[in-house]
Amino acid sequence: MTELRYRVVKPAPAGAQDADPVLAMVGVEHRYGAAEVLCGIDFVVHPAEKVVLLGCNGSGKSTLLKILNGLIAPTSGRFLYQGEEITPARLKIPALHRRFRSEVALLFQNPDAMLFNPTVFDEIAFGPRQTGLADVAERVRHWADQVGVSQHLKRPPFTLSGGEKQKVCLAALLALEPKVLLLDEPTAALDPRSTGWLVDFLSGLPITTLTTTHNLSLAPELGSRALVLGEDHRLIHDGSLHALLTDMERLAAANLVHTHRHRHGDIEHRHTHVHDWQ
Amino acid sequence: MKRDRAWLLLYLATVIAATLIHDPRWLAVGLALVVLLAGREAGVLLRRAVLSVLAFNTLISLSYLGMAWWRDFSPWQTLLLLNLRVLLLTCLTFLFITRVNLFQALDFSRSLTYVLGLAYSQALTFSRAHDDFRYALASRSLQRPGLLDRYRASAAAVSWFIEKSLHAATQSSQALRSRGFFHD
Repeated sequence: MTELRYRVVKPAPAGAQDADPVLAMVGVEHRYGAAEVLCGIDFVVHPAEKVVLLGCNGSGKSTLLKILNGLIAPTSGRFLYQGEEITPARLKIPALHRRFRSEVALLFQNPDAMLFNPTVFDEIAFGPRQTGLADVAERVRHWADQVGVSQHLKRPPFTLSGGEKQKVCLAALLALEPKVLLLDEPTAALDPRSTGWLVDFLSGLPITTLTTTHNLSLAPELGSRALVLGEDHRLIHDGSLHALLTDMERLAAANLVHTHRHRHGDIEHRHTHVHDWQ
Repeated sequence: MKRDRAWLLLYLATVIAATLIHDPRWLAVGLALVVLLAGREAGVLLRRAVLSVLAFNTLISLSYLGMAWWRDFSPWQTLLLLNLRVLLLTCLTFLFITRVNLFQALDFSRSLTYVLGLAYSQALTFSRAHDDFRYALASRSLQRPGLLDRYRASAAAVSWFIEKSLHAATQSSQALRSRGFFHD
């Protein structure tokens, strides 16, 4: 059995909890045909909070992120960004679209889905070029340097390794300096060294982050507040990650821990626990 | 005989019939019947079918029109026949796959069920990946993407799909060989 390691995550700045929520889900439900994927989702996220969204495969995490990024509309309920309702239809308003897309960024689980420019430089410059900023090249070099891909700027992004692609995607999103960063299983394709780098990098970002993972042992590294989606697609926990990690019953209900037979020396027994795995 | 298998046989017979009939009036009647069979989903079915064949049929039709003008003959009968037949077969196929459980229809053959399972899982994986490519471009675009950006995004997606297809095909054949599917 592996012990869960805790690390203190930099708390949100004083007063952040009193500030107006940056993200708010109000009675959100979503269906794909007859299949229910989200049910009765209510929560708010305040500026600079680091939130971890946990749930087993198929619980609706990716769908929730797509709603939070305005890519799909909930079947019912509302998603608000800084108090303004966001749906794909409302994002047809050019000013709202421009503001929302530059302030709320989504890192997809599959980095290949995000890469299409001829060089890493162009990939990172794609966002800033749309804003008409004068310092595009400077921004690109800054963020390439921050994520450690400066040496690849002239290479096509398709030729990079999975970890390098993920870093390029991150730089491409951060080049717009968004206020909210949504990350869908960002460590899924990363080796242990890159995972360590990403954890440090994210904890140092002074922005709101909401990260999905089904890796319970990594969760405390990504935030201090947990949202948990159960197998019934409802939010079964919204609160301290520390409290969640000591609540085995709730973790088992969310299918985030497992039970199997194993040995400690000569003693063989069964109990619920978590493994470190990618 | 199971219901799904019966529908599969009827579908195959209709496909063969549609390719043997050369009178546009009968093909039009067939198309009308398929659309009627779709019931309340008729509009969606027709729209989906038209969009699916639009690029291919437009290209073929324009090429044929050009040839007819060059060689000085009337193209209309052939064009009507061709477009009706393609639309009928497309509508019929879309209706068939939404109404019939192919796994049950093919459960008489282990090999066919394997092949269907592989194709189905690939289709689902690619459908999800296609959505991700589309959403990623939308998510990163502060304004409507230009023609060049859309072209590059499509090219990147096609390249990824080809690479994944080759990889998946290799994996699938190795998995089947490992399970004793091939006897060579």
